[in-house]
Amino acid sequence: MTDARADQYACTESLLNITPDAAVVSNLGVASYVLASVSDPERARNFYQWGSMGVTTAVGLGLALSTDEPVTVLDGDGSLLMSLGVLSTVARYDPDNLTIVVWANDVYGTTGGQSLQASHTDFAGIAENSGLDAITVGRPTRSRTPTGAPPSPRASPSLSATSTPSIPTHGQHLTSRTSPGVPAIHSRPIHE
Amino acid sequence: MTWSEDAAEALADAGVELVAYLPDSKMDVLIGEVVEDDRFETVLVSREEEAIGVLVGAWVGGNTGALLCQSSGLANTFNAIGSLSVPARVPFLGVVTRRGNLGEFNIAQVPTGYNMDKLLDDVGVRNTVVTDPENVRETITLAGETAFSTQSPYVVLLEQTVTGRKPEAADD
Repeated sequence: MTDARADQYACTESLLNITPDAAVVSNLGVASYVLASVSDPERARNFYQWGSMGVTTAVGLGLALSTDEPVTVLDGDGSLLMSLGVLSTVARYDPDNLTIVVWANDVYGTTGGQSLQASHTDFAGIAENSGLDAITVGRPTRSRTPTGAPPSPRASPSLSATSTPSIPTHGQHLTSRTSPGVPAIHSRPIHE
Repeated sequence: MTWSEDAAEALADAGVELVAYLPDSKMDVLIGEVVEDDRFETVLVSREEEAIGVLVGAWVGGNTGALLCQSSGLANTFNAIGSLSVPARVPFLGVVTRRGNLGEFNIAQVPTGYNMDKLLDDVGVRNTVVTDPENVRETITLAGETAFSTQSPYVVLLEQTVTGRKPEAADD
């Protein structure tokens, strides 16, 4: 079968190429391992989490509020699912230097690849309804019905992908041909 | 000065720049003063463990921070404190209204509130209890100073003898 998921390594590498000076806060486990492998592991602007699952985006918010420089959060869907309220907090303060990338692979990658069983959950939609600009990168593989029926489960929980998504320049949205993809949640002024 | 005015001055004296908070009935007056005070940037969080993340990020960005919440809310922060603040040596000053002890009417506040000092000791966070309003300013100032100079969290627990009891406590 073709695993059409976004390539987390390629996405992370492209992100660093486009915003080489960004401070990057990475979720514990896979997000941090990937970041360390595609950048200098000692890169001073990488802040790897070794615990504190569910708090990664909040760390990025606190940092973004304390600097004018760009801040990127690499969070996991399992981590964000623990703390969806943080999206409302981010929207409340809305630092324009903060970008949140969520690896929405429906997998607890660091604990062995167990499924979140949350493939029916639209993280970008939650972010939008929390007051943020958000987009899901990837080719839709699930057809939503007006009644909101949950999609059929995917066959593989793997993070690997066969194609490489394009990565946005600053201020642009991610676009990709892969799926289920990576919701990138951009902070934006909410009073525009 | 009231205990809350003393506490706000102490936060400033200790060099606190960012205050993350969640409302509490007895903390409300201090939160109001801090939010209106230009010396502080304030962040209302959805859950207290978020505040730990915000304060860690703020420290990485060069700002010193404090957490204002109630003791039951502080219980929500323990994994973030134990797996981030303490091992990463990121300080914050906690100013926490302590429930569960003298004057408590709600049994649900007792397990984590009454035991919060011991819980903090067990996770490696220094703490002290203030029972006399006269001691609020000096205690919070010194707590902040030692937190930031040793780069480790410090929590001040304010008893209901300082902040007053909820009206419900006197109804029965």
